[in-house]
Amino acid sequence: MRRFDLNKRFVIFSLLLLAMPFWTQAQTVLKGKVVDEKGDGIPHATIWLENGKGEVADEQGKFTLSQLPKDGKLKISAVGFETLWATWSAGKTSETFTLSSFTSDLKTVVVTGSFEPQSAKQSVYQVRTIGSEVIQNRAPSNIQEVLNTELGIRFSQDNALGSSNMELLGMSGQNVKILIDGIPMVGRQGTSNEININQIDINRIERVEIVEGPMSVVYGADALAGVINIITKSDDAEKFDLKARVQEETVGSEYSPFDGKGSHIRSATGSYRLKNWDFGASFSQNNFGGWKDEKTGRDYEWLPKDQNFLNLKAGWGNEYLNLEYQLDFLDETVFAYGPDARLEVLDQEFITSRWMHRLSGRWDSNTTFGLTWQGAFTDYTRDNETWVSNVRTGEHYQSQAPGANTTIDYNGFSWRMIGDWKIANSFKLQPGIDLNLEEGSGERITDNEGIQDYAVFLSGEWSPFPSIKIKPGLRKSWNSAYDAPALIPSLNTKFALNENLDLRVAYANGFRAPSIRELYFNFFDASHSITGNPDLKAETSNSFNGSLDWKTQLNPTWKISTVLGAFYNDVKDRIAYGQDPSDIQVTTLFNVERYKTAGFTLSHTESFKNLSANLGFSYIGRYNLLSEEQTVVPEMSWTPEVNTNLTYQILPWKTTATLFYKYTGALPGYETIADSDGNPSAKEIMLDGYYWMDISFKKDFGKHLSVNAGARNILDVRQISSTSEGGDAHGGGAQRPVGYGRSYFIGLTYQLNK
Amino acid sequence: MKQYHFLTLTALLAGVTLLSSCGDDDPEPVIVPPTESGLIEVDGGGAEYPNTAFIDLSKGTQTAVARESWDLAFATGSEFKVLINGTTGAMASATGETDINAVSAAGMTSADSAALVLSHTNPIGILHVDNPSDPLSSPIISAVSANDDNNEVYILSRGASAVDAKPLKKIRIIRNGEGYTLQHADADATEFSSVDISKDSDLNFVYFSFEDGIIDVEPGKAAWDIAWSAGTSTTPFPSAPNGTLAYFYQDLIFHNIYGGAAAVEVLEETIAYEAFIEGDAIGLSFNTTDRLSIGSNWRAGGGPNSAPVVKEDVYYVIKDAEENIYKVRFLSVTKDGERGKPSLEFELVSEE
Repeated sequence: MRRFDLNKRFVIFSLLLLAMPFWTQAQTVLKGKVVDEKGDGIPHATIWLENGKGEVADEQGKFTLSQLPKDGKLKISAVGFETLWATWSAGKTSETFTLSSFTSDLKTVVVTGSFEPQSAKQSVYQVRTIGSEVIQNRAPSNIQEVLNTELGIRFSQDNALGSSNMELLGMSGQNVKILIDGIPMVGRQGTSNEININQIDINRIERVEIVEGPMSVVYGADALAGVINIITKSDDAEKFDLKARVQEETVGSEYSPFDGKGSHIRSATGSYRLKNWDFGASFSQNNFGGWKDEKTGRDYEWLPKDQNFLNLKAGWGNEYLNLEYQLDFLDETVFAYGPDARLEVLDQEFITSRWMHRLSGRWDSNTTFGLTWQGAFTDYTRDNETWVSNVRTGEHYQSQAPGANTTIDYNGFSWRMIGDWKIANSFKLQPGIDLNLEEGSGERITDNEGIQDYAVFLSGEWSPFPSIKIKPGLRKSWNSAYDAPALIPSLNTKFALNENLDLRVAYANGFRAPSIRELYFNFFDASHSITGNPDLKAETSNSFNGSLDWKTQLNPTWKISTVLGAFYNDVKDRIAYGQDPSDIQVTTLFNVERYKTAGFTLSHTESFKNLSANLGFSYIGRYNLLSEEQTVVPEMSWTPEVNTNLTYQILPWKTTATLFYKYTGALPGYETIADSDGNPSAKEIMLDGYYWMDISFKKDFGKHLSVNAGARNILDVRQISSTSEGGDAHGGGAQRPVGYGRSYFIGLTYQLNK
Repeated sequence: MKQYHFLTLTALLAGVTLLSSCGDDDPEPVIVPPTESGLIEVDGGGAEYPNTAFIDLSKGTQTAVARESWDLAFATGSEFKVLINGTTGAMASATGETDINAVSAAGMTSADSAALVLSHTNPIGILHVDNPSDPLSSPIISAVSANDDNNEVYILSRGASAVDAKPLKKIRIIRNGEGYTLQHADADATEFSSVDISKDSDLNFVYFSFEDGIIDVEPGKAAWDIAWSAGTSTTPFPSAPNGTLAYFYQDLIFHNIYGGAAAVEVLEETIAYEAFIEGDAIGLSFNTTDRLSIGSNWRAGGGPNSAPVVKEDVYYVIKDAEENIYKVRFLSVTKDGERGKPSLEFELVSEE
């Protein structure tokens, strides 16, 4: 997002560039080139002239100057490289400058939790980034395909609704804040509760940043397990940029070209820059034909789904102020075809439409104070329609039966404003306000006033020595609907033990707000008596995490890095179902349970010449609630995960080969069973582990065209078994869907920019 | 999950109309040849399924009765047994007392109250209901003894499953010659009423309502073959006694085991519905003791997020009390997408 790399100088350079053709012709042209250690040009490197003006290099790292600055002094910088102060020798008409890449940084820049883009090494947070190259190499059709080989992330598929829920480090998706460019997403259950992460246009995603551990001071409710910040593309073309993508993919062995069976992606994006303005538009279509597997007739194992995404944006910027407005529209239809029937066939369509308006910007008053704001209004509607087909008469009509057609509507408004106040070089203060207003209505949701949440927060970053950063933070919020935690503190520290080794230690309070659903949702029928509980308060957690991050460059072509992390979360007042004491027939929600997670992760990356390899291991413990009643049940159940990815660039062929692999370990747990007298005892249950592998190839043809091809789910995983007998009358079902079998894809991307 | 609205006026009216029409039985039996075939849209009353619908295949008719119209069913055979209303999820507890005035709701512990709630949160519910498959074999109210001192007072929950909950009752039943005497009162009352109920051999049960006294519910003894109703059923549940949970199910099919009907399931893959002829019935083992042998087996699915559907791979063969053999297959659980209005078709099995 441009608002994050809002760099006033950059804008000036762009403007300069636009103006250049008019005054360069008459003058001597000085030709320069910026290259890396290997001699390859660094695209878009910035060449700063001493009078505050500058120049941006082109794709090959080449730039021209009309005249030399005073004394020939230049400053050259590029993302991921050490800034170089250089002198252009007088009299030379061409010059080459070599930048060295950050020795300890694999070019990673992060924005989550900070106010300006900064290198991952500098951030006090341990941020995991899935970069644009990884995303491009994988050619995913949705974001789940990017995240499902990440350590500590598990997806559970809800095939009845055609959606999926995510778990991060043993905590359910309700505890993970999903942000788009820092702005909370609204989903089926209200803000950030069980967001269906696949309702985001994959073609707009530049990179994904994952911060583990609570970020509630900055991001408020639900950032308890962590934050997934989806950074969208900024389309920083110099003048214009056009991009088109077509991808065809099988769904298991099911495929028909361009329509119907299989997965079909089409996307077109364009952006245009004119003086202080820039404009962009993009449209994507993602049609998933569903997966039948052994189902016959009209039934599907995985439901077909059509998604259309539209994005429009306009930005304006000058030296002091940058503003950007974006409109995102999602239209999604999931088709739940009822099975064949002898008389009446009932089909359901789940239609989601989401309008999201965003206004963001940054204002720099001077070098010591800047202001960043992000505002969003989201209108989310989910319709559930029932259609009747009479097999004997051939009639097809929408059912008018009570409850056959329902609508759930959520509106969310959020406004976050953060000041960035540099009091001294070693001390920065970041005050902020955060407003979140949400309203929900719909079938079975009792009338409510909505939820209004107002918060102020303050964090400071103090660096007593260059090697130490201490970032304490406090948040105070007021909530109209539930008891907000009084004061949310956090303390993040980073110690550069030596040039290559960083230690981060953090403590934070996190909280998860009760959702509109948990507060106000009522459901009564023959076998259900469920009410929401408007008296719920927030779940809170105490969380500790730490990491050791060692990065070094053994020689110019060999870099290695290792990250060892550990975490412990202790959640109080977890919201869980129980019997209403005033009417035992009614099930409602209470702040009763306790929950804990603990674990460690180890990740090692080597980058040697054209090969980059990563190997990761995690061991995550999840709390067994039954251990409070049954002494035979251990407090925690542990699950291992192993992942690896390999990327090899075959330079002569302009081809990149990538392999992703993950082993997700078996997930143990305990459930209650009763003997014939009704006495409860505990039984260990196990959800099987599984292996996942994707391979993809990307080949560039010339400057504009690239082709992706590969296979996903090579090990052909479909479902995994659980030994659970099901803790409720619905029966959990022994088989859990994981994938739809081995699939193949081929895609074309065409990009033209100037 | 399908979403259910509250009882619609039409559904109510339909229930009432059919209730009032069930006294129209023809008094003079005329030999009428059995109906050959038909399609019945079962009048379950709609999305809140307020009715039990009794279906007589040989006449091609149905009789719909509001589930909550009755409270107790008194057996008319040689035994002295009384059933509670499983179609509303009624439950009962023995009190150990024989003096009805000595029993009061105030004396109940919260555990006593909790036991009388039909819910998956009450795993011991199975210990407080009539056996859903064959209620006369093990009713929750013990067989009425000739010795009055053996006849305990019961606390009765009149059922709150898809009907409005009503206050608890206390009841005691004693013999009255060849009939019964029912003592009943609100559970917190200090006085009680008595009503004499005699057996009627034309019926399987004599039905009693606390509001309306003796009422017509079930058509004559053999005047129905199968009934569609919501009602108490059972489902495997590990944390319940013997792994069985009493569970309220909205699409049960009973067959009239006390009126001489027999039923058996046939797989399409064994013999196709169209091809089934009388000779094929010979080898089938008809069930005459478990009224839930069709039960919930005729439909499938129906999880938290999916609507149930009729099973396409099975049909049923029903033998009525006159030995007419019908093949019956269910067509739909809905009418125009509305639950509680299933349909079925049937055909008299031909000789060849």
